[in-house]
Amino acid sequence: MSTFFEKLKAYSKPGYYEKFDYHWTMTIDLDRCTGCEACVVACQAENNLPIVGEKQFARSREIKWIRIERYWEGDYPDVKMGFIPMLCQHCDDAPCETACPVFATYHNQDGLNTQIYNRCIGTRTCAVYCPYDVRYFNWFTYTWDEPLEQQLNPDVTVREKGVMEKCTFCIQRIRIAKDNAKDDDRRRVRDGEVVPACVQSCPTEAMVFGDSNDPDARVTKMMKNPRGYTVLKELNTTPSIVYLKKAQS
Amino acid sequence: MFDHGQPSYAEVNKDVLSVMLVTGPRYWMLLGGTMSVAAIFFFMPWIYQLFVGVGAAGMNRNAVWGTYLSNFIFWIGLSHSGTLLSAVLHITNSQWRKSIYRSAEAMTLFSLMTAVLFVMVHLGRVWYVHWSFPIPNQMGLWPNFRSPLMFDVMAITTYLIASSIFIYMGSLPDFAAVRDASTGLRRRLYTIFSFGWRGTAREWHTLGWAYTFFAVFVIPLAVSVHSIVSWDFALSVVPGLHHTIFAPYFVCGAIFSGTAGIVTVMYCLRKFLNFERYIGQEHLDNLGKLLILLSMIWSYINILELFGSWYGGTSFELEALKFKLTGFYAPLYWEMILFCAFVPLLMFSRKIRLSWNKMLVVSILINIGMLTERFIIVATSQPRKFLPDAFGFYFPSWIEISITVGSFAIFATLFLIFIKCVPAISIYEVKETLKPLRRNA
Amino acid sequence: MAIVGTFACEEDFLAAAENLKSSGFDTISLLSPVPVQEAQDVLGLGKSPVRHFSLAGAIIGAFFGFGMCVVTALTFILPTGGRAIITVPPYLIITYEMTILMGVIFTLIGFHVVSELPAWRNRPYLPCANIDRFVVVVENAADSEAARAETIIREAGAVEIQHVEDSE
Repeated sequence: MSTFFEKLKAYSKPGYYEKFDYHWTMTIDLDRCTGCEACVVACQAENNLPIVGEKQFARSREIKWIRIERYWEGDYPDVKMGFIPMLCQHCDDAPCETACPVFATYHNQDGLNTQIYNRCIGTRTCAVYCPYDVRYFNWFTYTWDEPLEQQLNPDVTVREKGVMEKCTFCIQRIRIAKDNAKDDDRRRVRDGEVVPACVQSCPTEAMVFGDSNDPDARVTKMMKNPRGYTVLKELNTTPSIVYLKKAQS
Repeated sequence: MFDHGQPSYAEVNKDVLSVMLVTGPRYWMLLGGTMSVAAIFFFMPWIYQLFVGVGAAGMNRNAVWGTYLSNFIFWIGLSHSGTLLSAVLHITNSQWRKSIYRSAEAMTLFSLMTAVLFVMVHLGRVWYVHWSFPIPNQMGLWPNFRSPLMFDVMAITTYLIASSIFIYMGSLPDFAAVRDASTGLRRRLYTIFSFGWRGTAREWHTLGWAYTFFAVFVIPLAVSVHSIVSWDFALSVVPGLHHTIFAPYFVCGAIFSGTAGIVTVMYCLRKFLNFERYIGQEHLDNLGKLLILLSMIWSYINILELFGSWYGGTSFELEALKFKLTGFYAPLYWEMILFCAFVPLLMFSRKIRLSWNKMLVVSILINIGMLTERFIIVATSQPRKFLPDAFGFYFPSWIEISITVGSFAIFATLFLIFIKCVPAISIYEVKETLKPLRRNA
Repeated sequence: MAIVGTFACEEDFLAAAENLKSSGFDTISLLSPVPVQEAQDVLGLGKSPVRHFSLAGAIIGAFFGFGMCVVTALTFILPTGGRAIITVPPYLIITYEMTILMGVIFTLIGFHVVSELPAWRNRPYLPCANIDRFVVVVENAADSEAARAETIIREAGAVEIQHVEDSE
């Protein structure tokens, strides 16, 4: 009985995510980012993202789990252009998660903000609640023409119409790494063992991915960089992605 | 209360029941018309959308909520006056409620059903909508009670059940009157519907108590339902939606548009069902005064909302405010202000308040204003959230416009069916307002 | 046998009811087209027991609503949004709605129990009682009693008196 009440007490407090095994985190160094969009293409190939076509793109219905946002600063002779890759921030206090009536999105034990396509009923509330606009809705059932369906990644589901989707931090790769770690009788996944498609394809190595619960991981060291910041910090969503500010000369 | 002399008890029965029992060809033509409009404008586009996907509508990734949701709020809002007003006036023992409350409650029920239909149309995978109810499903998973949408599911289900029970129990003695006045299959059906009501002192006593309890339960429920609908928006972090004023704003707006809806429905009942004797200028006068009050509260809350955005002073809020007041949808915004804040002020004139035709125009204008209000809430806020790169624009497609038109036909169809199934005016309560059958009365 | 007396005005109807009651007839039904407060007073109907059903329903609903949320949360430990597993404020809203829902449903049940509706048997009834007549029904009266009841009803000024066989 006492354990029951202890459990009840523990469950009435927030902050359980600190106790998770892994806390997958990414850092993106904006000083290194050239805006080449290799990550966008890699993500599209890895995660079976549909090509919506010209007409739907014009109606801004494209599906890009990671996108490069461009911002312009200053007036004509002195124009500066900045890039910021925007993907799901995997917030610890994600506004989207509480919104879902059917638990289609929740926080898993790796500190990931997951989206379960099978449960989704398509209320699209999560997309409205997301301040980063990184959730994408399947307006139609998209198909792949022959022989393009041969290139689909067998580790990732193909989504049907009426389902929300977003960046998963390549959860299929995380699963494989964790399975391998388990098979090798290792306790934890080694740093650098999991590399999401976007990180893998970045030519300038602007992105670093790892487990921030591991004090020796490269990402943990990168996070301590004084240039680091999180997007829309004032909303207290505590994102898992830390951006490193562009160095000013 | 009675503009054309008091009817006798028997005449009340005859007048009200003849609407139900005598059906002319005009009724069938009208019913056929509304049903075809509903089928062509609502159900056929919806079926098309079910096969193709929600992409058939005009929403996009920057504005994932569209007209479907704004119409959902509109219909929920329209449902707010009937049962709520009826319950409040029952508790305060107002006599003028008695001849209008039945149709007002029917309005509640049917606009609520239309609203629920809009949720269905809105959903991406409506065939799995039962997953959002706390009933066992194949995933072995129950819904997320932390979600504002789940509050909605619970609140609207409760509201539907409670207002159905409320209207049913209120018409129980009238079902007995229908039973007594009809023959054949209808008599057998209404024998079942009326539970064998005889009107004994014990039955009246129990009904009176139960009805008062229903009223007491329904008032806080109605207020909570639209607050909860507003929290769908206010619990997000979206600038322009994340306001604490939203709950009273929505509740006030809902009662406002609902009361205007009652005026429109009263006009039709009076005009087409020959209820001039029972629905008189007293009702119009009272509803007009109520509308003025509600319009002023609504204007006040609107000013507060603008002030809150401006005084908050964050760039996101100011951007949302700027888009609302001067952006593409600014004409709609100012049209809403004109129809909902200024047009109702006309009713300060007694001449307008007592004229049925003028009040019809005013009430329809108010509801057009409220329809656009909900559209503006949905269409101007969420395409402009935080990151300028994701700023977008939303314009409804022809499917959404057609479904919006069709929803009015659905409401009309349900109402037309209602007037043939339930006495549209409460017979026994109108009798209560007449001279009692006493020798020295 | 049941005696059914019809009255055209309320005073006569109430007088008959009072006299019957004081003469010891307990199985009387007073039918009227509108609720008549005095008729309810004659039968001594004070506070209706429906209110106990409402209260019980509301309390059960409140516990059921909150319990459902907590049990769901504990059965499926699915953290969302960095909130606690048992998040009280949103559950109070569900509790509120369930309180009202159960309250309404129990009041409905209470109404059916107390008013003894739906009626499963035929009972003496005149359709005019639902229009503009008041009707007094004395049920299950023995023959000698029936005559006495009939006299009381006639003296009170009944417009019409009928005898109806009891149906079982």
